[in-house]
Amino acid sequence: MIITILSAIALLILAFAYTVTLEGIARKIEARIHRRCGPPFWQNFIDIFKSLTKHSISHGFIFDFGVLMALGGTIATVLFIPAGNLVVFPGLDNVFVIIYLLAIGLLGMAMSAVGSGNPNASIGIGRALTQMLGYELPFMIVLLGVFFHFRTSSLSELAVLQNSGGTYNVLIMPIGAVVGFVSLMGMLGKKPFDTFIAPAEIASGPLVEYSGKYLGLLMTQHAFGTFIEIGLFVNLFLGGGKTIWEFLLKFFLVYFLAVIISSIMPRFRVEQAVKFYWKWPLILSFIQVVIVVFIMGRRV
Amino acid sequence: MSKEVKLFIGPNHPGMHGNASVHLYVEGDTVVRSRLVPGFLHRGFEKLMERRTWMQNLALIPRICVPEPDINEMVYAMAIEALTKVEVPERAHWIRMLILELARIASHLMALGGIGGSTGLYTMPNWTLADRDLILDIFEKITGARIYHMYIVPGGVRKDLPEGIKADILKLVDYIEGRSEEFENLLLKNRIIRTRTKGLGVLTREDALKLGISGVALRATGLPNDLRKIAPYARYDHVQFEVPTATEGDAFARFTLKYYEMGQSLRILRQIVEKIPDGPVNIRISEGSALRWKVPAGSVYAHVESSRGEYGYFVVSDGSERPYRINVRGASFPQGLYGIEKLLPGTRIEDVALWLATMDFCPPEIDR
Repeated sequence: MIITILSAIALLILAFAYTVTLEGIARKIEARIHRRCGPPFWQNFIDIFKSLTKHSISHGFIFDFGVLMALGGTIATVLFIPAGNLVVFPGLDNVFVIIYLLAIGLLGMAMSAVGSGNPNASIGIGRALTQMLGYELPFMIVLLGVFFHFRTSSLSELAVLQNSGGTYNVLIMPIGAVVGFVSLMGMLGKKPFDTFIAPAEIASGPLVEYSGKYLGLLMTQHAFGTFIEIGLFVNLFLGGGKTIWEFLLKFFLVYFLAVIISSIMPRFRVEQAVKFYWKWPLILSFIQVVIVVFIMGRRV
Repeated sequence: MSKEVKLFIGPNHPGMHGNASVHLYVEGDTVVRSRLVPGFLHRGFEKLMERRTWMQNLALIPRICVPEPDINEMVYAMAIEALTKVEVPERAHWIRMLILELARIASHLMALGGIGGSTGLYTMPNWTLADRDLILDIFEKITGARIYHMYIVPGGVRKDLPEGIKADILKLVDYIEGRSEEFENLLLKNRIIRTRTKGLGVLTREDALKLGISGVALRATGLPNDLRKIAPYARYDHVQFEVPTATEGDAFARFTLKYYEMGQSLRILRQIVEKIPDGPVNIRISEGSALRWKVPAGSVYAHVESSRGEYGYFVVSDGSERPYRINVRGASFPQGLYGIEKLLPGTRIEDVALWLATMDFCPPEIDR
């Protein structure tokens, strides 16, 4: 019990510190692509902690409660993400549990943003949910193929099986990994799939009414959300990690690939994003499932 | 049952170009009505000009337009020269043309960056604004100032070009020509940008002419309307260049034309460096102290082709030390004020920023 609590605390601290640091480094890398200097890599820590010390403007109970629900749901989800050999709930980290827990955080965010009464926030949430319909379908189809092949939907077991088999899913199911990565870009809200943030269109959408502590909490929530989404990809397709360092290294590589692609991409319109997901990733995900079911079969 | 929601774009909005507000009435994602609410930037330029002497106004007028201030100096100088019937020295004409073309490239770079900003391709504005800074360096060398130069004055230009500036300009032209391919790959050949902008905000030639829209928006409908060709000023009739046109009239055609116009401006710059004659650069337009200039009574309309279209001053003088009335014809006034009401409805929310960017919406030209 004590070990579980301690590892949960360790995982949360790691998830926050590592993701926020990476976000800072990403800002620096993006700045280099833009041919500018960029802020120091610890700027995101400054932003979050400064925001947490400020007063906030509230728009009612739903607005306040949604922020806590978003953060609480996301923190609960992080605890089920295996980070190399740091696994808080071994055997309980089923992918379906993670996806459903993640939805609590997202619903909290949606509830709070709509509670603000700002139409830009409502449009942003509408777009986020519409886009979710787009990327979740191909992603789930690929996941079903992975579960079929490995006979399990436990994230840590999937990681262990890939490591014991000697090859990662990115090599044995490359088409699925590509679909997974494209879906990950949508989950992260990276361009060309940042339709729900879109500053020039809807003034940052869901985040438009948040200030002070609320903004700080949501920036923290965003960091945890990023950890979950990339953690999912790393465990599903890159074999997680035998050690925590291996996991963090893979996390770093996936995150930066997403950042670099994002910085040379403009934004889709939301219907273009959904149309895209329901075209190529969906076709590819079906191809991958057919290959898994009829050619690769179940792993013995 | 549909429900109309009111959205405010600006004055504080990342999709708004400057201090103005556009009120959008939307149903679902589509704009059904829209209205420009100006006034946030109103500084009363036209009235202020009536209270200052002809010379004092030189420091005021460039402030009307931030992206391309030099056009104000040019039309003001042209108007006064027409009233005083002063012939500007030959070298001054070429230097003026040099300044105007540099300003046009700087403004087009800013506008192309704006397309990136509106679509989330933030690499584009960062690249173009960094390159625009190199043009500002040249301006600093020539005029001593980066943005508001107060260099083109009635009677010529304020001072001669510095030593070695020709080499600097040629170096800059080579550099921007080299960068153009990267801009083309990043922006013009980008599939997402093309999909988003093709067929967006289609402007017909009839609408453009009816509203008084000029510049790339008009040229994108197939009409090669460029004052540098149809009513040459300075020495534009002494240089070779083409007026790029398109027939689609959509957002893609509009910003693509800007890109090609930039190429033509670079071509003009090379010719200026080659052909610029020696000689004096200014001539006195009136006797005595410059602060006591008197401009003969009369009225004149002077206009130039700015990066956004026809830009002009209607100047009325009563023969005194101050202008009686100056009216500014902002290049983006028609599309900014009337176009937003008549042409913007039907656009989707996500395309409003792109519409404003490709239509060259520039609030200072409306609030002046």
